[in-house]
Amino acid sequence: MTSAEDVSQMFNSESQKLESLFDAADSKIDMNIHEIVETYYQVMNISSMVTMLKQQAESESNELMEKIQETKKLISQRFDTVIHPRILEKLSSSIQKLTKNLQSENSGEKSKEQIELDAKLFDELRQTMSTKEFVEQYENGLSHD
Amino acid sequence: MIEELGKNLVELKKEFVKIYDGKSQIQEIIPKSKLFPIEESHLELLHQFATKNPIYYNSFKKQIGSVDCVVYEGDINKYWLNSIQHGASRAPFSPTWILSAYLSSLFAKSLGYKQVIDIGSGDGRIAYCAKILGLESYSIEIDEMLVNLQNSISESVDVNFNPYCSDAITFDYSTLDLTHPVFFIGGLAQMGGVSLATGILENFSSAQKQTTGMVFAGTVSQKYTPDPIGVSGWGTLIEKFSLQVIDTIILPTVWTFKESDDTHYIFTKF
Repeated sequence: MTSAEDVSQMFNSESQKLESLFDAADSKIDMNIHEIVETYYQVMNISSMVTMLKQQAESESNELMEKIQETKKLISQRFDTVIHPRILEKLSSSIQKLTKNLQSENSGEKSKEQIELDAKLFDELRQTMSTKEFVEQYENGLSHD
Repeated sequence: MIEELGKNLVELKKEFVKIYDGKSQIQEIIPKSKLFPIEESHLELLHQFATKNPIYYNSFKKQIGSVDCVVYEGDINKYWLNSIQHGASRAPFSPTWILSAYLSSLFAKSLGYKQVIDIGSGDGRIAYCAKILGLESYSIEIDEMLVNLQNSISESVDVNFNPYCSDAITFDYSTLDLTHPVFFIGGLAQMGGVSLATGILENFSSAQKQTTGMVFAGTVSQKYTPDPIGVSGWGTLIEKFSLQVIDTIILPTVWTFKESDDTHYIFTKF
């Protein structure tokens, strides 16, 4: 069976990983889709751990409880109010930009090569749109909290 | 016979997938060879549909297995972009193969149907195939850009398959004087097909139901949420409207090109 100390260590390690992802997000102008998805998964992972461990920490460990509160604050103040809105805004503007570019290229005859090159941009647009949907699901969760 | 042709086409598609090394968004084949037993004039009209259709930007001859084919390479991205911009479509345009449209229309004809109504018809290929098979055909599509495409094909091939730019749910089918129609529902159950089919079925009168058939495009791919009653995603709808499955034929479509399971065309009646 996992001891309270093991749980605490695991939570610390996951929280550190989260903080590193936040640092990486802050240091970049453009996060790629993989980085965005990884960051959100880690936020959701930690949030689930907080819900699970909170009850145990209340009865057993002050240290764990403090760490939980600290991590919750980190998510709320750093991610929910700064990084997440920034990502959502960036995704929306990328979609607008890509859509505009692709629409402006729609007229006239194109070579096979140009059509296949454009198809890559369409794929990028589809990926960005589905990432935005994923990020919006997090947004919906926030509004129901 | 038609099921056998369908199986041959599925096998041919598998061979094609193995050797295809192009980069196009969509691709399909139409045999040239007489080894594929379809009336020659019809086969020629299927090629014409592809060559006059601007979604295809390239074509070349290729022997696939023992069958001489023409490979058609295409791109439907601009239609997708248009449909998401206007939010008109219930499901994005993603066509069946032209030869699959032909075989499913041929099957509808063999079941005695007199009219084919292609719902959410995209570029109108099912209605087109029904028309060349001598059936009355109607093509209902909500997206104006796609209807313009249908009209341009219809004019250049000189086959009028009656394109209508309309919402298939609110369309008044009594104006078509249908006697023994079959409705092909565009879109998988999980891709907007159920809401489209429900909207249409709810408007049928009891008298209309007596003579009407419905065809659904289904999937068993694990990519999609299965229906609790099965039938390739359509079980719940089939039960709700007391439909009976007559038969199912499996045929390749653009969206199953990279999949091992092709599309199940489920023929039903009331």
